[in-house]
Amino acid sequence: MRAEARLSAWLSDLVGYLPLAILIGVLAYISLNAPNFLTLRNLELVLMQSLPVVLVCAGLAVVVMAGGDDVVSGGIDLSIPATAVLSAGITAQMLTLGYPLALCAVAALVACLVVGVINAALVSRIGMTPLLTTLAMFVAVVGVNNVVTASRRINVDHPWILALREAEIGGMPLGIVLVVMIVGTLFVAAHQTRWGLNLQAAGGSRDAAEISGINPGRLVGQSFVVAAVTGFVCGFFVLARGSGSSPGVQDNLMLEMVLATFLGAAFSPRRVVTLWGAVLGAVIVAAISIGFKSMGVNVFWTGLIKGSLIVVVVAFSAMAQRGR
Amino acid sequence: MAGITVTQAAFSLSDIVKIFPGVRALDRASLEVRPGEVHGLIGENGAGKSTVIKVLAGVCQPDSGTIIVGGQRIASATPAGVHSAGVRFIHQELHLVPHFTVTESVFMGQELHGSLGLARRKMRRLAEAFLRDNLGLDISGNRLIRDLGTAERKLVQVARALIDGAAKAVIFDEPTAPLANEEIEMVMQAIARLKAQGIAILYVSHYLSEITDICDRVTVYRQGRTVGVFDEISDASAGELIYAMIGREISDMFPNKGARATGEGLVVDGLSDGAHFDSVSLTVGKGRILGIAGLIGSGREELIDTIYGLRRKTAGSLRFDGETLQVATAAQAVAQGIVLVPRDRRNDGLVLPMTVAENATLATLEANSRAGLIDARAVGDATTALIDSLDIRPPNVDAVTRLLSGGNQQKVVLARWLAADARVFLFDEPTVGVDVGAKAEIYQLIEDLATKGASVILSSSDPVELLGVCDQIVVMMRGRVAGEVAASDVSVDNLVAAITGAAMVEGFANAR
Repeated sequence: MRAEARLSAWLSDLVGYLPLAILIGVLAYISLNAPNFLTLRNLELVLMQSLPVVLVCAGLAVVVMAGGDDVVSGGIDLSIPATAVLSAGITAQMLTLGYPLALCAVAALVACLVVGVINAALVSRIGMTPLLTTLAMFVAVVGVNNVVTASRRINVDHPWILALREAEIGGMPLGIVLVVMIVGTLFVAAHQTRWGLNLQAAGGSRDAAEISGINPGRLVGQSFVVAAVTGFVCGFFVLARGSGSSPGVQDNLMLEMVLATFLGAAFSPRRVVTLWGAVLGAVIVAAISIGFKSMGVNVFWTGLIKGSLIVVVVAFSAMAQRGR
Repeated sequence: MAGITVTQAAFSLSDIVKIFPGVRALDRASLEVRPGEVHGLIGENGAGKSTVIKVLAGVCQPDSGTIIVGGQRIASATPAGVHSAGVRFIHQELHLVPHFTVTESVFMGQELHGSLGLARRKMRRLAEAFLRDNLGLDISGNRLIRDLGTAERKLVQVARALIDGAAKAVIFDEPTAPLANEEIEMVMQAIARLKAQGIAILYVSHYLSEITDICDRVTVYRQGRTVGVFDEISDASAGELIYAMIGREISDMFPNKGARATGEGLVVDGLSDGAHFDSVSLTVGKGRILGIAGLIGSGREELIDTIYGLRRKTAGSLRFDGETLQVATAAQAVAQGIVLVPRDRRNDGLVLPMTVAENATLATLEANSRAGLIDARAVGDATTALIDSLDIRPPNVDAVTRLLSGGNQQKVVLARWLAADARVFLFDEPTVGVDVGAKAEIYQLIEDLATKGASVILSSSDPVELLGVCDQIVVMMRGRVAGEVAASDVSVDNLVAAITGAAMVEGFANAR
């Protein structure tokens, strides 16, 4: 019986690595078919493109760590991408109205924090399931953004925002440096502090956390606020990447966020969602998107492929869990 | 030896009364545990063991009584206050995070900080040292909980409660329930080490053999009262303890056993599920009632679920009258006439918002449909007949099931299977949460099923019920059949002794 248990644990380990193997296979296929894919210049482009996704993934990872990685009943925040476009929309609209950037940023931050606090209250005070709560918030917040921007594209040419895309610091693109710093800070908070360990304990076993004197509800609430802040920061990178705010960005962002974060669990030795796993996942997903583009794959097909990848990743992680 | 030197108790509870709506859960119950002793607390289900632990933990406020911890009288116990007084609880559930390391689990909620964030190395060193020196477990602090055995996890749980070094009394609630035989020794040795350090230990368990092995003194509860405190515990004490625990006569609530049909009926041959039970063989002739006794964790629940196709078997077979049954799903079981009245009827047995008629005919909708549409009149007629024959109250086919009493809900579950014309009935704890009157009715229904020629299996934690209802009783222990005996050949005491693993008794010694 022992040997059987070990075999099944080994098999579920193997199944856990499959999503990663599939994605590496896809990347290998792309690099064979798009000869420029593996150049340094292109990899930098991939990183730059991935920055908004990296930020929202970091936020989602914190929420999943606090709420647990069960996609339905555990922690999830689908509203982060909506928060990001709201941050972008408010900033873009206020800039065109002539307000200084600092004031725009404060307004956007306040709006995002309101979203985070509402999420936190609905989930940890009222006890709604995070999936439904944040899906509803996603729709509502996108609605608010449509009102703010009148659902049209707003160009932004503020030099500080464009600097996120174009400026360099010590030979490194400024945007990448900033995101590395932000993600690094979150990483230390989530993995190297008492708060972070308690967060993981709450997500790992709510009962265990409670018995150990940890307040899981409060941590879950805090995780939504942290996620909202990453959404706020992401808004500026969305503005920089698109030279302004355009409607519809949130859909793709949400898809890639969920895919990348849960994919990231496959990189973690413990098979759980971690911050760096989510970030690495985000970079890989961006690489695949760009790869398909440079191979000249029809944009519509890209959607199908990405959707299928989500199914495969989530299915395998469910199978790996069941094998335990 | 104990009892001569009067030591100050580590904690004591005296004359505790706790009344829940309709039940006196504790009725002047007392408990006194001294430093450096292992004190057993035993009693049947519902005797008040869990309630007294909750009172001590400050989770539940008593209506009257005195609580003294470390010489200090505590007016109203709070979880934090009891913790700071050095009382620690090792709950039956492990409450560990599977993907955490040993170190992280031990320090959960009490992590150590250095100037540069978490003091991971220091925590690891302390956790490893504590487990090795105080609990006898030599293990790397970097291993993941999910890679550990159950006994090792148990010790990690103990370490988490004791790592701050301030524990003076530890309450173990059924610590060995999920453990295999060879793992129990690890936990026993750890408890002996704690005892040697002068820590007071309260050991709550259903396993009488462990109680007589490890405990210095034992308190016995029955119906919320202290019925005995035993100072001299040896292997020979089991009989006295059982007598104190049971202390009641078999009541006349059980039906007379009638004449029975004959025939091979259901044969379970070498059934295993690869985890909870192993090579279980049973025979339940037509018109026979077979009881399955065993503690929680004996594999009894899983066995019933497997016969019904809810769990996958890894070995063994089922036959009925010599014909092999293929039961891989519950749907197949029902199709072949095997039905289950589940232990958790509210969640598993009934759709509570539906009406009695809808619940009663859930398994026979095809018979009551025409061209794929449900024939409401046929459903109503069938249900009315069942309500009459089972005396379901209120006798209303459109009553919402949620509003029925526990006993009547149980009858609705039965009604469904009577409608489905089953030949093997599995009952899993059918009378839990059912009042005495309804119990008697359920017993009569079970007897009627047998009289009509069905093969009946009754899995129950109540020894009196098993003796009153069944023809034969099989005792399961840690996943195996420990013995089988005719109900008429065994006393309640001997049955309890067999169930709790106290010395095997006559009647069981000869069986198998």
